[in-house]
Amino acid sequence: MSEFTIFNVSASGMTAQRLRLDVIASNIANSETTRTERGGPYRRRVPIFAEHLLDKSRTSAVKVVRIEEDPSPFRLVYDPSHPDADENGYVSYPNVNVLREMVDLINAQRSYEANVSAFNVTKSMINSALQIGRG
Amino acid sequence: MFNTNFQTLKVAMDVAMLRQSVHSQNIANAETPNYRRKYVVFEELLKEASRIRLATTHERHIPSSQSLPQAKVEVDKQVFYRNDQNGVDVDYEVTQMVANGLRYEVLARLMSKNIEYYNTVLRGV
Repeated sequence: MSEFTIFNVSASGMTAQRLRLDVIASNIANSETTRTERGGPYRRRVPIFAEHLLDKSRTSAVKVVRIEEDPSPFRLVYDPSHPDADENGYVSYPNVNVLREMVDLINAQRSYEANVSAFNVTKSMINSALQIGRG
Repeated sequence: MFNTNFQTLKVAMDVAMLRQSVHSQNIANAETPNYRRKYVVFEELLKEASRIRLATTHERHIPSSQSLPQAKVEVDKQVFYRNDQNGVDVDYEVTQMVANGLRYEVLARLMSKNIEYYNTVLRGV
């Protein structure tokens, strides 16, 4: 294990959490989107985290392996005047719960901060090792 | 010619750095499903190693060498806090990490002091 691998581990954590923030942001931005490129309303996206082994499998970093779609059903709202309403007058809105996204957002932010503090502690440890013998 | 502090402190600092690596890995994987927390075992091994020692009942007996044990990284397979089988408690990891970082700084300072003693002798008081 090299001391500098620890930086890569914390960096991988930060990258993963930032990607998660991006996904949450796109979920919130599209929480009312009824039309997408593929047709139909927007589906909530979820990043899938997985352990990523560095250093001959002895050090576990993290990475986002996929961004998957939440298969839960769309939110149906009765609004016959809406252009995207079906024959019964219901509009399918994305399966995004903004409240849940906000909670996730705070979680991602805290996790990001934890990685930042890990990075800072590693940095100050290496710094104090560099100060050895300098009086 | 040199005292054993250099060796002892080096081992202690290596263990602290290994601990830092493990804390970083746990924090990075705090949201990874099925990830189990890792931890470093060293003090227990040290206690074990210093307990088993050859008896020296004669002044010409060779004392058993004070070889220091190798720190081991273990995986805690028992504990998990969440439904996705993740076993990391971020608060615990962060507090332990900060404490470990401070311990490392103490060790680095001790190492500096140890060097200073030699400098004092070399320069002549």
